[in-house]
Amino acid sequence: MPLELAVEMRNITKIYPENNLRANDEVDFLLRKGEIHCLAGENGAGKTTLMKVLYGLEDHEGGTIRIRGNQQDISSPLVANRLGIGMVHQHFMLVEDFTVSQNVLMGIEPRKHGLIYDRKKADTLVNEVIGHHHFSIEANMLVRNLTVGQKQQVEIIKMLYRDVDILILDEPTAVLTEQEIESLFSTLKQLAQKGKSLILITHKLQEIKAISDRVSVMRQGKMLDTYETEEVDERQISALMMGKSISLSIEHGKKNTESRPVIEGRQITVLRQGQQRPLLNALSFTAYSGEILGFAGVSGNGLGVLEAVLGGFIPIYDGKVLHNGEDITNIGTALLRKQGLAYVPSDRLKVGSALKASVQENIIVGESGSFRKNGFIDQKKVTRHTNDLLERYSAKATAQMPIGTLSGGNIQKVILAREIERYQDYIVFSEPTWGLDIASSQFVYEQIASLRDKGAAVILISSSLDEILTIADRIIVLYRGTRVASFVGDEARNLSKEEIGEYMLGIRRQGAAHA
Amino acid sequence: MLDRKPHQSRRILPTLRSSAGSFLILLIALAGVVVLSLLLSKTPAKTLRYFFLGPLQNTYYFGNMLTSAIPLIFGGLGVSLAMRSGNFNLGGEGQIYSGALVTTLCAIYFAPLGLLGALLALCIGASVAGGLAGLSGFFRMKWNTSELITSFLISNAVVLVVNYLIAGPFMDPSTSLIATRKIPDSFRLSALLPPSNLSTALFFALVAVVAVHIYLYKTKSGYELRMTGLNSRFAKYGGINTKKFIVLPMFLSGFLYGLGGGFAIYGTYFSTIKEFSSGMGWNGLAVALIAKSRPSAVIPAALFFAYIEAGARSAMLHSDVTFEIAAIVQSIIFFFISSEVLLTLFEKKRREL
Amino acid sequence: MQFTIPILHSAVTIMTPLLLASMGGLFTELSGMLNIALEGLLLTGAFSSVVFTYYTGSMVLGTLLGIGCTMLLSAILASVTLNLKSNVFITGLAVNLFASGLTVVLSFYLFANKGVVVFDTIATLPLLGPPSLAKIPILGDIFIGHSLFVYLSWLLLGLSYIVLYRTPFGFRVRATGLHPEALSTLGMRPDRYRFASFLISGFTCGLGGALLTLNLGAFVPNITAGKGWIALVVIFLGNKTPIGLLIAAFIFGLADAFSNFAQGALNIPSDFILAIPYLFTLLAMVGSSIYAKKKGAIES
Repeated sequence: MPLELAVEMRNITKIYPENNLRANDEVDFLLRKGEIHCLAGENGAGKTTLMKVLYGLEDHEGGTIRIRGNQQDISSPLVANRLGIGMVHQHFMLVEDFTVSQNVLMGIEPRKHGLIYDRKKADTLVNEVIGHHHFSIEANMLVRNLTVGQKQQVEIIKMLYRDVDILILDEPTAVLTEQEIESLFSTLKQLAQKGKSLILITHKLQEIKAISDRVSVMRQGKMLDTYETEEVDERQISALMMGKSISLSIEHGKKNTESRPVIEGRQITVLRQGQQRPLLNALSFTAYSGEILGFAGVSGNGLGVLEAVLGGFIPIYDGKVLHNGEDITNIGTALLRKQGLAYVPSDRLKVGSALKASVQENIIVGESGSFRKNGFIDQKKVTRHTNDLLERYSAKATAQMPIGTLSGGNIQKVILAREIERYQDYIVFSEPTWGLDIASSQFVYEQIASLRDKGAAVILISSSLDEILTIADRIIVLYRGTRVASFVGDEARNLSKEEIGEYMLGIRRQGAAHA
Repeated sequence: MLDRKPHQSRRILPTLRSSAGSFLILLIALAGVVVLSLLLSKTPAKTLRYFFLGPLQNTYYFGNMLTSAIPLIFGGLGVSLAMRSGNFNLGGEGQIYSGALVTTLCAIYFAPLGLLGALLALCIGASVAGGLAGLSGFFRMKWNTSELITSFLISNAVVLVVNYLIAGPFMDPSTSLIATRKIPDSFRLSALLPPSNLSTALFFALVAVVAVHIYLYKTKSGYELRMTGLNSRFAKYGGINTKKFIVLPMFLSGFLYGLGGGFAIYGTYFSTIKEFSSGMGWNGLAVALIAKSRPSAVIPAALFFAYIEAGARSAMLHSDVTFEIAAIVQSIIFFFISSEVLLTLFEKKRREL
Repeated sequence: MQFTIPILHSAVTIMTPLLLASMGGLFTELSGMLNIALEGLLLTGAFSSVVFTYYTGSMVLGTLLGIGCTMLLSAILASVTLNLKSNVFITGLAVNLFASGLTVVLSFYLFANKGVVVFDTIATLPLLGPPSLAKIPILGDIFIGHSLFVYLSWLLLGLSYIVLYRTPFGFRVRATGLHPEALSTLGMRPDRYRFASFLISGFTCGLGGALLTLNLGAFVPNITAGKGWIALVVIFLGNKTPIGLLIAAFIFGLADAFSNFAQGALNIPSDFILAIPYLFTLLAMVGSSIYAKKKGAIES
């Protein structure tokens, strides 16, 4: 059987100017006709971006795309549709108040007398396609009454109706139940047998093994390689997704006998309306003084939620958070700050700073009152304080410039300066070196280590295993909001990244509870 | 380290750039005046001469023009404060009007208290207006209802209620106007520029500008207000009580409008005449939009508006056009003033990478 | 009680401009835009229709030209809002301000009169109604004997229903308001349908405004007196459906007709009655916010 290429993407580069991010860095991607091909990688690896380029939702700075051998310029989803490419998005693009037919036929509705919607004909046409693929829905059902799995079927039919033979599915199983996933997979296999070529964007290892013919792994905007699925196992894929360790050496702390628990989480459970699984599931942990406690996990498994809980942004449904023995559960950010919260957030642009405000205005947030003289803010004092901090933290900036004009690394330094100056006995870091260069990252780690040496209880939340392994003294792994493993001291250092990666990806689970 | 330029000049260029959009819109407005005159007047040159030069030709016209700028300054400050916190106060009409009425009535009632009474009346009047705006802020804080729409709706209803009160229970039967009784003579502010009606209220307006500027840029509360407006998630993260800064700025916003109404009474009208403040609320909004919510820019923006109205009045008196061309010019400004495209036309996206 | 029939009859005509304005506003509302320019568009329609009728001698031509002017204004509104990315509330205010200023200015320029301008040469609006139908007891008295505008408005309401619920164009307008990405991910542009909705509102307001002035044969400054705002209330009260619009518009028309007859007989000041729509809308808005909040997810 000749191996025809349905899609050939070569040297695709996509840069997002707002944050100078190379989402795709000279990526090659080849899709054979009739195959099911998984595009794997962690969050932020660039998989969705690559597919958005293929579907015409994003333009690209470099590279070429060939569809069935012919070079194409895919400028919009309409063009993509015409070329036979369809995309089923992670978040459904359906109008709930309309019927299945109305949604499927949006833009190409059949008409009576030229103007009126021909409902009968529409339903017949759509039911035909539904029946052809043995789906459980009917054309005249209202979308709002469908289950999540059925809504996804509508999205698929929407594309199939338009005669696509290259179908992209973005994290299709994220919101499905086990049975729905089985049903979806059998559908996908049928489609492949009929000659359609499928791309599944996913980071779920078991599914990659279950459904795909080949898998391509991306990491940090680059395409690593493509493999025949039967020739690799889950561990190898996991290792590729996580990447090799960078050699940043930080001296690990020695266990201090005087250490005391500073922040304690007991059975923290966070729910969200509309989702079956809790976002955090009875999570318990203790952060001791003079120690760096690292939370590891793949994005979307509870790290962000934990950050929001520690920062006071979301309420917890059950459980407690204690600070030096005092109950601080659900008291809200303002009170947490008064209690001594110091916190470097993962989103430094939308949460950690106000881009249009000046550097000094960003620095004094939360303690503007202490710069007052006779009731008015002493600007000179603020500027002096800011300049002092800027120098100590080697940030290239001046006090009065809008912080939005600084590079990401310098913004992070300002935030670090602010939070570190403020800490009392504990400090939370979330994704502290995301988007930073090696030198800045090293600087950040040194700051964190010195905090620990001074006796602070440091909580480090990071989806980068490299980072956790570089500096954490103790590691807790989260998977689907649950604590699945913890490692202390030497135990952690002797483990390989691959092994910890397996916990992160849910392949392994620790038995008994660790400290 | 970066070059050390003098603090001043480094700030001027970006400020000019961001004002360029506003200037452009004002130029369009003035061009509109010219076009309208050419189209509607049989003597366009005369019309234009009276429009542009009329308000400046003698003390009477000039002074009156300054007088009409006063409520615009208060209103502009009020809306600016609200905008800085991320809120839209569209209830100016009702807030000025109700502030004026309540001030008048309290002034009459507190006559025996002298200066204290005058201040008290002013405060109460402004607080009622502030309360109306604060109510919108409350609805937004509690239930996320658009304060833009609720402030407008409340204002409309309030204007009707005040109309009723003036024409009904509080009407002064001794005058031919539909108006309340007059405030005590001792409460009247002294005239600054006779024979025009300009009073010392102008000083109070300027003081208000300084006060709001100091509040915004030199106090803790003002700082927290601004951070909430720039990025409410950041403000919350930093420990600022963002709920307070939805209600408080709206209240202060209405309070300033109410002061505008009160000072109009103390300085110019001396009693609340039916619909005397019609349009002032909207003009205050336009002033804030042109000034991009900067207190210091409110003064020239208010003067510009007052100038347009005075020019229209002068052209009307001496030529053959009608006063309402001012409304057309103002609407042109409104058309363009909220356009993202136009306002950022000259601003470069500067990011150090 | 002998006033009931005349009041109901009067209500049918009075509610028509309101119904027409709200019909147009329904389209913009369903496409996701808060259109407060209905007031200014009605006023524009009122003024331009009567003036063109006066100059051309023909009501039909005058109305058509009046509608044309109003649609032009709505096109400008749509363009400034959508293409120049402006705040739709502020541009709507601009339209209202513009219309109220321009009508006075032109009135003065053309007729040297800033107040009520009476056009003697304009005939009274012909009332339609075959005598056979007029003889039907009660219903005949109420519904027969109105001008063409009234019957046209019913037709247009039916048409609106068909367009919104039975044509692809209507689906897309509604999709624009409900979930614009459903359109954009299929390569269609939601802004196109918003623009079209503004034009439709220009059309209906032009027609509705024409009725106001041609009914009188005169132009009265501020003849719309808040009807554009009440149209928004009608849309909300009518739950954004054509049938709801009809009922809500009728209720307001009835209230208006009643107050005309009962002037002086009741003690409620007219100002308070005029304030009711605003207070109503306020309550409706706060109410729906509370409801939305109770339904929503945990705040993050």
